Amino acid sequence: MTPELQLILLAGAVIYLLLIFRLLKIGKLSIKFSLLWLASGAVLVLFAVCPYVVYVLRDILEIQMPSNLVFLLLFCFVLLVLLILSVAVSDYADRLKRLTQENAMLEKRVRELEHRLDGRDC
Amino acid sequence: MKTLVLIPCYNEEANIVRVVERLKSTCPDVDYLVINDCSRDRSEEILRENGYNYLTLPVNLGIGGGVQCGYRYARANGYDITVQMDGDGQHDPAYLNKVVGPVARGEMDMCIGSRFITKEGFQTSPLRRFGINVLSWLILLLTGLRVRDVTSGFRACGKEMTNYFADHYAPDYPEPEAILDAVLNGYTVGEAPVIMQERQGGVSSIHSFKSAYYMIKVSLSLIVHRLGSHPKKRRKNV
Repeated sequence: MTPELQLILLAGAVIYLLLIFRLLKIGKLSIKFSLLWLASGAVLVLFAVCPYVVYVLRDILEIQMPSNLVFLLLFCFVLLVLLILSVAVSDYADRLKRLTQENAMLEKRVRELEHRLDGRDC
Repeated sequence: MKTLVLIPCYNEEANIVRVVERLKSTCPDVDYLVINDCSRDRSEEILRENGYNYLTLPVNLGIGGGVQCGYRYARANGYDITVQMDGDGQHDPAYLNKVVGPVARGEMDMCIGSRFITKEGFQTSPLRRFGINVLSWLILLLTGLRVRDVTSGFRACGKEMTNYFADHYAPDYPEPEAILDAVLNGYTVGEAPVIMQERQGGVSSIHSFKSAYYMIKVSLSLIVHRLGSHPKKRRKNV
């Protein structure tokens, strides 16, 4: 790996981490999900700083290209994240359903109360 | 016995008045609740103008979420029997007592109005009947209970069943799954013969091009639901 490429990878990973911290800071990302992304950023930084780790892993798993190993890991990670997000979305859909139902029942009560009050005024 | 009839309503401006009026004249001693699932037509206006008893959902939840809301309402207001009846005029309130009867007598927790027992009246298209038979067979395989009209939305539930459905009700196309869920949780489910009409206006919630998707989804959810759950024995406290 050329030093130039290593530098670009490192810069990319650091920017990625900074972006996550920025999102956390302005409250656009919840801590719950950020842990996952921070971990991925940390791994990327590790790979950029110390490619030796990738080479060792490659030798253990007998994969030809070190980059393939990185792609494989990233792909698995992305799959996992997508699954977790689907779980989160399903959970929110359920909460939304409950809220909608409660809202509908409250709306009915309010409507009936208003109706009764109107009747008293007349 | 305090009985509530749930009428789910999604874009039923053409039918809803006739359905409610027919119910009120045929069964004056039951309460009803129309559940307007965020209709995009004039349904809500019509319900308000006529002074009907209705709930209106601020967000479209689909038939499952709407009906569940009705069960929650029934639980909150202490109804003994909750009946589901479609808002499109397919279900004739004249058969209400046939469906409610077995539940009121404590023979069943859920009684489904079935058009395939006497095979009279509207029998739906052959293709749909085939689909219904496949689901019926699947439920037989998974639970050991033969229910012929698994997609019928005309059904009565007792108090315990109502309370259960208030917390657990499948979204989207819930009719077959509700049967499986009820049986697996130890509730007694059965059928009573009714005669249904062809819908008299508006569009059904299951379109032809969605049918394949519907079948796959329902079959999958039935199988997933059955996986890893052992049918419970429930002590009946009648």
